[in-house]
Order: sequence, then structure tokens, then C-alpha cells
Amino acid sequence: MNRSETRRYWLLQTVQWLVFAVMIFISFLAETSGSFVKPLLLIPLALCISSHTGELQATAVGMISGLLLDIACGKLLGYNAVWLVICCVAVSLLYSYYLREKLLNMLLLTAVCATVQGYLDFLFYYAIWGHDDVMLVYTRIILPSGILTVLSAIPLYFIVKKLCTACGSRRNFELEKTIIRNS
Amino acid sequence: MGNFLKSAKFRIIVCILALLVGVMIYALTMGGYTISTVGVFRSIAAPFQRASNAISSRVEYILEVYSNARENYEQNRALRSEINELQQQLADQEVLEAELERMEAYTGILEQHKEITYSAPCEVIGYLANDPFGAFMIDAGTADGLALYQPIVNAEGLIGVITEIGTDTATVTTILSPELSVAVYCSTTKDQGVLTGSVALAMEGKCRLQYLDKDTILSENKAIVTSGENGLFPKGYTVGYVQEVGMDETGLTAYAVIEPAADLAHLDMVMAITDHEGKEESR
Repeated sequence: MNRSETRRYWLLQTVQWLVFAVMIFISFLAETSGSFVKPLLLIPLALCISSHTGELQATAVGMISGLLLDIACGKLLGYNAVWLVICCVAVSLLYSYYLREKLLNMLLLTAVCATVQGYLDFLFYYAIWGHDDVMLVYTRIILPSGILTVLSAIPLYFIVKKLCTACGSRRNFELEKTIIRNS
Repeated sequence: MGNFLKSAKFRIIVCILALLVGVMIYALTMGGYTISTVGVFRSIAAPFQRASNAISSRVEYILEVYSNARENYEQNRALRSEINELQQQLADQEVLEAELERMEAYTGILEQHKEITYSAPCEVIGYLANDPFGAFMIDAGTADGLALYQPIVNAEGLIGVITEIGTDTATVTTILSPELSVAVYCSTTKDQGVLTGSVALAMEGKCRLQYLDKDTILSENKAIVTSGENGLFPKGYTVGYVQEVGMDETGLTAYAVIEPAADLAHLDMVMAITDHEGKEESR
């Protein structure tokens, strides 16, 4: 890489991360708007970004998105952040070593992450307090929100993928490299 | 993959996780007071949240109008053209009147409850994501003279209490939450009870008045007001209206379903009660 190419690469990287930051902030705003049930956009967004970055960047994305999720949901600060950091690092590692860059993989990972997050939320914030009819919270709020969260991963996956391709930061997936090598 | 567990990266990630757990424990010890960094972030984000919430409310309003128009289409078809014409003429006037009405309502409650000290009107900057009890954030905090557990009201009636507070923002838990209990009575029949939230009723935007005498004469549409017994809420403040009355499963007491006087799902401006007669310094 010559000097101008290096400069261009870093410029594109800066643009990419600025766009990610804006997307994260917009997702946060969307979560605090209106009193209706809505998807937790920060979860699929953090996972999609993590699938295209290294483990340390994924940790940072997970931590920031998780803390914003805590603020938006009015939860204990750090509660969602811990879970999202674990998920983002796991996604980054899985995409490095085991998974191919497919929409279905991202949908499955989002579903697992959102299901566990929803279940923990239900358990710690509603179920253990012994309110009557507490399952209604799960069926009418947490479950629909989880489904919407998984569905929202579809557009986010394509936006993040397109952005990473445009900015030239597509990762070297070990699995894909091996497949190419063997063929 | 095995190398990752032995790498410096893994140690850094574990350290960050430990830091987050530390933040959680620290936040727990704050007892309702927002961590200053979060408070600063909320203050920065507040104008954006307000704008985003305004857009969302507008979209929600348009969707509601659309669905209602469809439902009533057959009934209103004959009258629609005439109404549209009149609405065109009245549109600007209505906006002004609504604003005037809101201001009059606030002036009205100030006049009506002279023994109560109110804060300046606070704007609702956003609802907490997917909260079943409709908790929301307002753009005022300790810097504006607000404190934890102060009641929040609007022109229609009692809304809830402040349960988390920072310098410039606060979180309000509504009367739909089971965590909140308010001593109330019926202004006409004088029946006394405790108003509290329930998960099932919160889904319909209602709450439950329990521990009523089993021979209660409470009936539909009766107004329920605060009794001011625990010192947290002022006496005689409207909370809601009776929707239905029934007997508890035990058969020892009666209960009533209460529709809050305020529209808790579409709030824009609220006020905190900073002082009132009989107020006790709670907690």
C-alpha cells in the first residue's frame, strides 16, 4: 500500500466509524420515541457491526450500545452492556473462525441474543417480583419486541455490509479463506 | 480460537466486563440518583430525543387518525365534505385554541390548588423503551428544584412519581406500575382504598383500586382523588374515574378498575409537586 492508498484507507475507515456512531445514536433515539412496543435496534446493529470487526472493536461497540440500551430502557447501568459485550465478542469470533457471511447466520445470532436478553429482562425486572399476570409482559411486550428486533436485523445487515464493502473493510474470514484455498 | 483465550485481547475484554460489572454495582448503590456521566449524556441527548419523540408522536397521531377514519368512514361519509370545509377554516384557530386551553388548564390547577407548590412545566422527552407501565423521562432534574419521589401531575390529574433523578433529567414511574401505591378515596361516596398498578390492567392503560369495603356503593364514572394519608401526595388531587366495580377473590373486600384521568400514553407537558400541605420528608 502506497502513501495515498494508506491515507484513503484511513479516511474511509473514519467515515465508516462515524456512520456507525450516527446509526447507533439514531437507534438509541428511536428506542425512546413513542410509548408503543418497538424493536431494540441497538442489539442487531451492534451484532452486525461486530460481525465485520475484530474482537476489541466488537467489545467497544457492545459496551457503548449496551450502555445506551440501559439508558433507553431505564435499566440498571451496565446490565445490558455486559450481555451485549459477550454477544458482540462471540459474534466477532464466530465470524472469524466458523461462520460464513450469510443473512441467516445473523438472524439466528440476533434471535439468540434477543431471546436471552428478553428472558433475563423478564426474569429480573418482572417475574421475580411476583406480580399477577406477569406472563402478559412477556407475551405482549417482550416477545413482540424480540420478533421485531430479529426482523430489524435484515435491513441493518444489508446496510452494514454495504457500508463495510464500500469502505473496503471487509474482513478476512478464516472459514471462507480455507474454502477458497481448498477449492 | 484456543489462542484467543490466551491472548492479551481476551484479558482486555475480561477487564472491560469486570469494569461494567463494577459500574452496575456502583449504579445500584446510587439509590435512584443518576450517575453524573449518564446525566450529562442524557442532557446532551435530550434535544435529539425531544425531536425524535415529536416525530414519533406525529406519526402515531396520523396512524390513529387514519385507522379511526376507516372505522367511521360509512357513518361519516355524508358529513365529511361539510366537516372538511369547516375544518380547513378552523385548523389554524384550533391550534391556537388548543395551546390556549392547555395554558388555561395549567393556570386552572394553579388556581385550584393554591396550597400546592408546583415546579415549572417540564417537557416529556421520551418514554422508556418497551416499559409495560409507561415510565417516561422529563427534561428537569435537581437543578430545577425537583427531588426523588415528588408527585408528577398535569392538568387532568396525578400521573406518577419521580423514581430516578439526575441534574437535568428525571425518570417518572406512572400510577400504572405495581411498584406504586396511592391512598385514595371517592370524592362523592367517600369510599377509601389503595390505588395500585397491575400487569393485566396496565396493558389497557388502567389501574386497580383495592381494599374497598365489600359493601361499597362506588359506581361507574365516580371520580377518585388522593387522600393525602402517607404525606407523599397532596390531598384531593384527581387520580382517575371508576370503570367497573367487583368483589375480590377472597370475598372480603371489593375492588374497582380505574381509568387514569391523564392520558398516560400521550403526555407532552407535566409538572412536579414540589411542596404541599401535610408533606412528610419521605426516605
